[in-house]
Amino acid sequence: MGILKPYLKNNYLSIIGAVISVIVLAGSTLWQPKLLQTIMKAIIANNRTEVYDYGVQLIVLALIGIVAGITSTFFSAKVAQAVTTDLRAELYDKIQEFSFGNIEKFSTGSLVVRLINDMNQILNLVMTMLTQILRIPLLFVGAFVLGIITVPRLWWIEILMIGLILLLTGAVFSHMGNLFAKFQKWLDKMNTVAKESMQGIRVVKSFNQEENEAKKFATTAGELKNLNLTIGYLFSLLIPAFMLISNLMILLAVYLIGAKITSHPNDLAAIASFISYLMQLMFAIIIGAMTMTMASRGMISMNRVKEVLETKPDIEFSDSSVEDTLASNIEFENVSFAYPNASEDSLKNISFEIEAGNFVGIVGSTGSGKTTLAQLIARLYDPTKGDIKIGGKKLQTIAASTLRKTVSFVLQKAILFSGTIEDNLKQGKSDATNEEMEWALDVAQAKEFVDKYDDGVKHRVEERSANFSGGQKQRLSIARGIIGKPKILILDDSTSALDAKSEKLVQQALESEMKTTTVFMIAEKISSVIKADTILVLDDGELVGMGTHKELLENSPIYREIYAAQLSRIGGQA
Amino acid sequence: MKDFKLSIAYFKHYLKPYWKGLIFVVGLTIISTWAQIKAPVYLGKAMTSLSKYLVAYMNPATHQSASLANFHNALWMILGFYLLSVFTMLISSLLISRINALSTNKMQRGLFGKLQKMTISYFDRHQDGKILSLFTSDLDNIFNAMNQAIFELISQVVLYIGVIWMMFSLNVKLALATVASTPFVILIAFFIIRKARYYIDNQQDEISKLNGYVNEQINGEKIIITNGLQKKSVENFKVLNERVRKSTFKGQLYSGMLFPLMQGLSLLNLAIVIAYGSWMVINGDVGKAVGLGLVVTFVQYSQQYFQPITQITSMYSMLQLALTGAKRLSTVLKQPEEQVNKDGRKLLEVNEGVELKNVHFGYNSEKEILHGIDISVKKGKMIALVGPTGSGKTTVMNLLNRFYDVTNGEVLFDGTDVRDFELHSLRKNVGIVLQDSVLFSGTIADNIKFGLPEATEAQMIAAAKQAHIHDYIESLPDKYETKVDDENSILSVGQKQLLSIARTLLTDPSFLILDEATSNVDMVTEEKIKKAMDNVIAGRTSFVIAHRLKTIVEADEIIVLKDGVVIERGNHQKLLKDKGFYYNLYVNQMVFE
Repeated sequence: MGILKPYLKNNYLSIIGAVISVIVLAGSTLWQPKLLQTIMKAIIANNRTEVYDYGVQLIVLALIGIVAGITSTFFSAKVAQAVTTDLRAELYDKIQEFSFGNIEKFSTGSLVVRLINDMNQILNLVMTMLTQILRIPLLFVGAFVLGIITVPRLWWIEILMIGLILLLTGAVFSHMGNLFAKFQKWLDKMNTVAKESMQGIRVVKSFNQEENEAKKFATTAGELKNLNLTIGYLFSLLIPAFMLISNLMILLAVYLIGAKITSHPNDLAAIASFISYLMQLMFAIIIGAMTMTMASRGMISMNRVKEVLETKPDIEFSDSSVEDTLASNIEFENVSFAYPNASEDSLKNISFEIEAGNFVGIVGSTGSGKTTLAQLIARLYDPTKGDIKIGGKKLQTIAASTLRKTVSFVLQKAILFSGTIEDNLKQGKSDATNEEMEWALDVAQAKEFVDKYDDGVKHRVEERSANFSGGQKQRLSIARGIIGKPKILILDDSTSALDAKSEKLVQQALESEMKTTTVFMIAEKISSVIKADTILVLDDGELVGMGTHKELLENSPIYREIYAAQLSRIGGQA
Repeated sequence: MKDFKLSIAYFKHYLKPYWKGLIFVVGLTIISTWAQIKAPVYLGKAMTSLSKYLVAYMNPATHQSASLANFHNALWMILGFYLLSVFTMLISSLLISRINALSTNKMQRGLFGKLQKMTISYFDRHQDGKILSLFTSDLDNIFNAMNQAIFELISQVVLYIGVIWMMFSLNVKLALATVASTPFVILIAFFIIRKARYYIDNQQDEISKLNGYVNEQINGEKIIITNGLQKKSVENFKVLNERVRKSTFKGQLYSGMLFPLMQGLSLLNLAIVIAYGSWMVINGDVGKAVGLGLVVTFVQYSQQYFQPITQITSMYSMLQLALTGAKRLSTVLKQPEEQVNKDGRKLLEVNEGVELKNVHFGYNSEKEILHGIDISVKKGKMIALVGPTGSGKTTVMNLLNRFYDVTNGEVLFDGTDVRDFELHSLRKNVGIVLQDSVLFSGTIADNIKFGLPEATEAQMIAAAKQAHIHDYIESLPDKYETKVDDENSILSVGQKQLLSIARTLLTDPSFLILDEATSNVDMVTEEKIKKAMDNVIAGRTSFVIAHRLKTIVEADEIIVLKDGVVIERGNHQKLLKDKGFYYNLYVNQMVFE
């Protein structure tokens, strides 16, 4: 609840409006049976003017109820919207402060769910809170008290009814939560079976497994059906049971009033309103129970959002130092790194120096730490031990904007954002000119296909960049990476979907066009980095070799092994 | 109207088996409603007799003879009606729950079963997400409506008619006063519903825009971080977020307003009825005792009378969704199914070879993809298909196990057209290894045994060993019982591929289609994949869509496809000598100096 406080405060006027209208609404609901009673009395007393007066009052009261109902919705919706919009913005803001480590801890999928589904739950929670949380207790207490005032000697009927209904709701709703959770679980399972079967339909069909799949589906659907039956039966019992309780109480009340009518003749006029209060009491309990089940879902979401808000970003940049230009030589001093919660270091005591303008290849098998090393250069993580320096300056002392301008990182997975090609390129340099875009596309070997579009760089990028092939995406992503002419460029296996020829062309262009840029290229194939000034060979987190292709062939057994394996892959024809 | 018929046909199909139960439910509902509306009459009578008793009791002349007998009789009647109504309601809701659970289960199974029988072409033409939404959205909407609306609708309609009938039979004037506001109320309700729907559509639009943005941004968060785009991302978010606030406010306002408004109107109506009723009594239109009873009765009726109107208006959108869902499902159930050719010849083994003869094919009639292809492979030989993206390699594969049928020409197994075989026997003999390995949620054992669930453990392990994945599986804590799923898996891309090779090996097909993966995997896994592929190809007749030169070099014949035509064919040596397309392709791959 705490995370909502500041936003609730900002909207206190609307909240007061909502509260007042809820009170008025509850009041008008409660007062109505009372008026009914007085009007009955007036009928019995044959008092024409009173009947007329109370009749008008009754109608006015109903009108007030309508107005209060509408204003209550108005204010509640307003507050709920304002609060959740602001909270969602805060949440998004927070996520944007996150580092790679933070994001991986939560996973992108879960962050999206929190921003969307959980926020929806919170919206509902705030809305119900504002409309129900006051109304239900007011109605409950009001109906209870007014009922007793109406027919004081029957107070115990109210108590009896509350007891019975609480017993029933308690018994049923405590099971319900559990059953609904189970139901959701099996529903998800069933949908997963369906999804996987659709996605793997070619496999299913070529293995003739249609019937077995249908059986598998039927099993999960069967579980769901059984739960459905249980829940359905419980509900089937619930509503008639409520009716039975309230009906019997009403009957009992009427009978008892009748039995003593001679000593309490005024009760005759009270019967109708007493019945009304009994009904209001019952609805207050039922709606209260339902609101509580809903609120508990909202509270879970609230905690999930809170968890994100309370997370500290792993990496904080010094904002003191002003933006400046750095030299592009890089130094690693005894750098070790372990991912959070990992038992073993991913990088072990790595030291090396790279001169400005060098082309550096990084090779090694999967899991050897290539990407990790590259990510440390861009300060996507901080090393657990040791120092990294760019242009002689420790990474921790460099302002975020300086670092991002100096170091450009092209990720292995080429992700483009929907919009135009231009929009995506400008993510690398917000004020890029047409010439700069042209240049970047040319170097990345993307010009040939971008030029084919009538609208050129204004060509649309669809969602999930579905209208581009893997190779095209990578080329555009490289163009985005180089457009700002970074001092240091990191290519994390960013040419994997390019054919050998295009890959070579990209490399040649980088070489001739970005002479002063220090390039780190992570490669699966040694052929990609064979010309590098320096190749770093990683094995299980350790730097086991460093030098040119020739030098490494001579003195690094691991490098030789990898190279030999790759030669055989292409059939030993090299 | 045609849509409506489709929707109704869908419900009819799935509810038909329960027609006896349904009629029973309707009968019970009528009884229960009748008892429900009869009870207030006796409550009124009780009031009347009680008031008469009081008057008689107060009057010394009749003091002695005053009796509560009538009052008690009325109470007994009420009790009877209450019990009857509760009991019938209980039975009918139990029945409804049962029918709902059973029929929705049948709908789910029906849809799934149907999808399993449909052609690959259907799946290629529809996004997975869209197909899945048949389950997650359409069936779900129907389920909700069945649970909360459809039967409710029946009982509400019965209640509505019953109440009107009772009111008019009791007192026409009061009845008229009760129903007088109805047209007005319905007009207001529909006005608000229309507004609400408009704003909620609007709201959904804005929300889905925001969702789309959030989804894309968060999924690309690493790009945002590496390019330092956080500020921009937040700015754009705020614009969308603000728009959501505005549209959601209106959506919530109008949809939230409906309920309090209807309740308020019902109270207003009640006030009118009470006021009018009292005025009638005071004016002497009816006797005082009877009048009191009538007012009490009508107080209950006017509440019951409004209930269906409120309920039905609030169910409106739910019903709408269910009807749309039923229409969509109805359309799916009408889709053509795969031709199984039950009485066709059984293919037991490929003994001679496989041949494509002058094959023409297009996914739609306007655009032909393959323009007269001739390929033949003898038993035990291997064909490598090579060519640029879009040349038709995958299409050839689709024709071999009848994912699609040729538009012209023939695909022959041992000289017999594939269309003459019983489909399952054909597919039993054709094994495929796809480029993207698909895994199903379950254990590793489930996945290896996918094609042959009855396989023994020894067979499974043998296949895993041949696929060079056994050692890795044994290194896992749960070994073959390790749980995997397609998305979040402990298996790397390469290992998934090994697993799918093991899956194919286990079924021991005599003919094999293999689509080599292009993805980069590390050296060790690469080596394993190569060995596993060698094992799976050995001794089988095979078609390989080849990306690795090693595979291509070893092929008995290389077919170079371009734009749907075979442009070169022959073995590696011959094609190199020809210095054609293949030669260029080969040289480009050869980047080693």
